[in-house]
Amino acid sequence: MENQKGIIEIAADKVWKFLSSVKLAVALLIILAIVSVIGTMIQQNEPPEKYLQEYSQATVRVFEMLGFFDMYHTWWFVLLLFLLTANLTVCTLDRLPHTLKIITAPLKPIEEDSLKAVQFKKEIVFKAGMDKAEERAVKVLNARRYRFVESKSADMTQFITQKGVYNRLGVYVTHASIILIFVGALIGAFFGFKAFLNLPEGSASDVVYLRNEPMWYKLMAALGIADSPVIHNPEVGVPAMPLGYFVRCDSFDVDYYISPLGQPTGMPSEFHSTLSVFNVERRKILDKRIRVNDPLTYRGITFYQSSYGTMPEGRGKILLNVRPKSSPVSSGELVSIDPGASAYVASIDRTIKALGFAPYGVRDPASGRVMFYRSQNDEYVNPAVELEVYKSNKLLYKTTVMKIDPAQPLLPEGYTISYGGYWGARYTGLQVTRDPGVWVVYAGFILLCIGPLIAFFGSHKKLWVRIQDRKGQVVVTVAGTVNRNRLGFEREFNIIVDEISK
Amino acid sequence: MESSLLFNIATLAYLVAMVLYISYLAFRKDAIGGSATIVTASGFVVQTIALFLRWYESYQMDIGRVPLSNLYESLVFFTWSTVLIYLIVEFKYKTRAFGAFVMPVAFLALAFINVAGISSDITPLVPALKSNWLFYHVLISFLGYAAFGIAFAVSMIYLLMDTQERGPTRNLFTGIGAIVVLALLGNFMASQGEQLKTAFWLGLGALVLAWFIYLISVGAKHKSQVFLFWSLCVTMTMSLLIGMGIDFVSLSIHPLAEGESFKKHLFEATFLNSSAPISVLSWAAVLALFWLIWSQGMRLKNLLKQYMPSLDLLDDVTYRMIAIGWPLLTGGIITGAVWANSAWGTYWSWDPKETWSLITWFVYAIYLHARYVRGWKGTQMAVISAVGFLAVIFTYLGVNLVLSGLHSYGGIN
Repeated sequence: MENQKGIIEIAADKVWKFLSSVKLAVALLIILAIVSVIGTMIQQNEPPEKYLQEYSQATVRVFEMLGFFDMYHTWWFVLLLFLLTANLTVCTLDRLPHTLKIITAPLKPIEEDSLKAVQFKKEIVFKAGMDKAEERAVKVLNARRYRFVESKSADMTQFITQKGVYNRLGVYVTHASIILIFVGALIGAFFGFKAFLNLPEGSASDVVYLRNEPMWYKLMAALGIADSPVIHNPEVGVPAMPLGYFVRCDSFDVDYYISPLGQPTGMPSEFHSTLSVFNVERRKILDKRIRVNDPLTYRGITFYQSSYGTMPEGRGKILLNVRPKSSPVSSGELVSIDPGASAYVASIDRTIKALGFAPYGVRDPASGRVMFYRSQNDEYVNPAVELEVYKSNKLLYKTTVMKIDPAQPLLPEGYTISYGGYWGARYTGLQVTRDPGVWVVYAGFILLCIGPLIAFFGSHKKLWVRIQDRKGQVVVTVAGTVNRNRLGFEREFNIIVDEISK
Repeated sequence: MESSLLFNIATLAYLVAMVLYISYLAFRKDAIGGSATIVTASGFVVQTIALFLRWYESYQMDIGRVPLSNLYESLVFFTWSTVLIYLIVEFKYKTRAFGAFVMPVAFLALAFINVAGISSDITPLVPALKSNWLFYHVLISFLGYAAFGIAFAVSMIYLLMDTQERGPTRNLFTGIGAIVVLALLGNFMASQGEQLKTAFWLGLGALVLAWFIYLISVGAKHKSQVFLFWSLCVTMTMSLLIGMGIDFVSLSIHPLAEGESFKKHLFEATFLNSSAPISVLSWAAVLALFWLIWSQGMRLKNLLKQYMPSLDLLDDVTYRMIAIGWPLLTGGIITGAVWANSAWGTYWSWDPKETWSLITWFVYAIYLHARYVRGWKGTQMAVISAVGFLAVIFTYLGVNLVLSGLHSYGGIN
């Protein structure tokens, strides 16, 4: 009973057939397209209260059971993606050998019976002799850059030629790219993480707070092989990932668009933090000014500028730049004063008292008066500081300096005081990720750009030119096949026939 | 701003081109066709200059950004891409037959921008958009949308030319009945609260989808069903555009309270109006439009018959446009993903816009597989192309108007 297959082989055969069918691919694409809609109609990952506001309790329960509130990470959605990838892989393995055979197959003369079934065929009676016909055919094929092989028998000559045979690989490149992207996403899910870190100006952290824990750590911990490095502190509530180094926020600031009148508009144009990295011995390794769209990467972990905010009850230090009137800002002395306190500045022999800090001051350029506004979310749209300048204990004058000033503040003496910052009251919101799979995904992206171009804009064309002597009459038969773009090939085919028969 | 003036000249040129292309179909004079092409091409050149000028003006205003980042600019750019791809098709296929269908869309889109009073101010960019990827991402995506748009127009022509007869009057009444029942049901459910409103839209979507699948599986056999589909598609596209246009106009007259989103008020000026006479009237207008299109469709077909290229060629144009659009859409998704990764550290976050672009990508992937592997041609493919374009429209406009997410430019304010 050697020929009979065992039950496992039959099952494997069936599974293979199922996974290699294009029907499955189309069905999966349809199902994925339909279920994806659900997750766009129902907002994802919102707090439960919000859902109860919009839907009835029963609906929320059903949706929760089906995983509709985090649909793209449910087991059944991931399973669909897995199936699609498996389908692509099996399709590729199933069909690639056949395609490779076509690509490597030597060019053979066409037989009489395959000539009947060929896509394009035309017979013409050639007026001149065989030699002239052959000459003509060679000329036309060469002119169109078809490299041909020749097969000759007593009363028949055949030129066999093809073009663009490698275009048949385009579809495999496309499919492989999608498999790569999926594999890259899996690597990311297993070994990468996404986290956040709100870092006040001047403080440092050696952990970040995880949004999702690397699956590899969970798996290893569950199997008892290795402990997860992730710290679960019930007081914090959010799992923390140790970085292995410290990251510190040196400073943070927001720039706002300036109106044509020279006043800040309150619309952020850019926000940026200066981050420093320290090793465990607290030695500084590097620093970088990051902004949106320009992150910092150290040891595979990337810090993105994502948000910012004011710390509740946070009190910062007022920074002022003091320098002789004619000299540039960079040459000035930086003075740091607590709001309400004063500081003696030796270089000008004056004591400066900072009365307070206002987040949004606007100076009327005509009168020189300063108006103070409330800003949304405590944004420091245009910080202004009221100052009193003393010599010994005698008040000389009061003035207000601000970040963007369309006019000049009152500064009657030979030096300039300018606003240098309000440091330590805000935090920078960092998005922190590690994704070792991203390069695999990018490789997939590159192939996904190339694959369709090969597949759609090239075609595998095959041509046979048969020149036959039928009882003294020279008959030229031109036959052709193409795997794609029939109309385009038909046009070319007709031109070739025309040129040969001319 | 000089760029606005140039945009107006381009709008005018497209209007003239539209009239010329339609008269070309009616009179079949080569001189008319030639001048239509020349006017279109000049309008295109003017619009191109206007785009660059707007870019330059933004630098003069110290904002300095690519003119591709709000609703106004994206609609202008959509028109520009559509005309570009149309001109390529006209040149490649040496036929001016499609001009009469594409140019009205280009003209109406530009006119709509003017009439609806969508702000044409050059506004500064939020920090997240400040990236070189913005340019490539939007450029590639919109060229893709335009290619799909032309594929849709051509497949609509295909479906019309493919029709032998409009079928029994029963079909018309079925269509009218369906619209009436759905309108009543929709209005009722929408009045019963947000949850039922969502349920209605989902149900309607499922119904439409079921019909698509029916058409695709047996479509080639029942040509009169396909004609019904065609007339409904044309009616729907026109009604939705007109309805949204009226929404925009009425909202620019009575702006919403600050912070209130437009999506909750979609179609409230017409189909979902609180005053019964207005909403009944709008629905009656839709029915009248549907009746007009259904009963005059065959006349249009007979008029077009002698001018249109063969069905095979129409099918081929549709396929070519999708074969161009799909890699462009892929490129748009990829540039978006790479950009998102450089801005937020995630190349994919299942944001509604991303998801809908993926859905669109799936639909056209189905089109390509049905063609390559199953060898489908003609009617079914035209229907899939229509479904695909529906997804494109939803990705481009629907997501911004109906859903919420990361892509901000569609806002009405």
